[in-house]
Amino acid sequence: MQLTTVYVTVGTTRFNALIRTMKSPSVLDALQSRGCQKLILQHGNSAALHSEDVKGILLRHGIQIEQYKFRPNIEDIRSADLVIGHAGAGTCMDILNNKKPGLIVVNDELMDNHQLELAQQLATEKYLYYCRVSQLANKLTTLDFLQLLPYEPAKENMQTFVNALNDLIKAK
Amino acid sequence: MPLTYVILGSGGHTAEMCKINQALLDTANAENASLYQPIRYIVANSDDTSQQHLLTQMPQARPDDFITVPRSRSVGQSWISSIFTTLWALVWSCWLIWRDQPQLLLCNGPGTCVPYCYAAYFWRLLGRLPRHTRIVFVESFCRVESLSLSGCLLMPIADMFVVHWPALAKRYENKQNLRYFGRIF
Repeated sequence: MQLTTVYVTVGTTRFNALIRTMKSPSVLDALQSRGCQKLILQHGNSAALHSEDVKGILLRHGIQIEQYKFRPNIEDIRSADLVIGHAGAGTCMDILNNKKPGLIVVNDELMDNHQLELAQQLATEKYLYYCRVSQLANKLTTLDFLQLLPYEPAKENMQTFVNALNDLIKAK
Repeated sequence: MPLTYVILGSGGHTAEMCKINQALLDTANAENASLYQPIRYIVANSDDTSQQHLLTQMPQARPDDFITVPRSRSVGQSWISSIFTTLWALVWSCWLIWRDQPQLLLCNGPGTCVPYCYAAYFWRLLGRLPRHTRIVFVESFCRVESLSLSGCLLMPIADMFVVHWPALAKRYENKQNLRYFGRIF
């Protein structure tokens, strides 16, 4: 699977380790081997890449970098071939609802982050992948994103819930 | 006419509540949809996006259906002042529930819903609300293994308490009011 455009998003968090790793040679090699030509970084409250880094990456790996702090990002998600994100519930659901291949990277610097639970659960159910910062290059080389399952809204379960609610209201 | 109070949070909470409301008023549930109407949507005064979000997602909703209320605590607010704002939010919730006598409270996790549910619980106990008044709490979708603070506070009084994931369903399987339907979103 060709990953021409890769979108990295950290939401409103500070996730310097992820942004730093994105410019490491091993990650860039992995991206290049998968045909990546454009890397969009939504760095939020993390430090942005220096302009020398951006030039160097284009020169050495042929990957064009676009980076920004915040903006409405639904278009960035839709136009990406792969979304790399932090474990935020909003990010996970955006990836799933837009049926995009997703790789969630755990932020070890956050203590007691319950949102991590959701990413883990969704990974268990094969809706997205999930790794640590140190594993990113390796995962980008080896993961088969075609193995991920498309996420469909659980209409039947919702209907069961609605029926149960109807019964609860009717029982006076 | 029995009234439903739907308590909105922000961001993800509102998006999830929107989906629940759509399902309740959907044509698939047409013969029961009237059970839930009219609906009043409770929004915190600090929340300027939920109303818009809901209005665009649900053609049935009108701006008049929204009740704006004081928020108990804003992010980053000091501890001392949050005592007063919480008390103020509590006074408001008691007054609104007494005035409107909603017979269903539907909420999914924002802190705003806690005083409303307790107000309904006590007004029902005191006879101001009918005995068949129901408090329904749907835990946040991102809660997989542990309950939210709102969830912990409301589990003892909710008539139906919905969780989305097997770990929570297992952990609280002995609770009478707990329901697990698989993920509903």
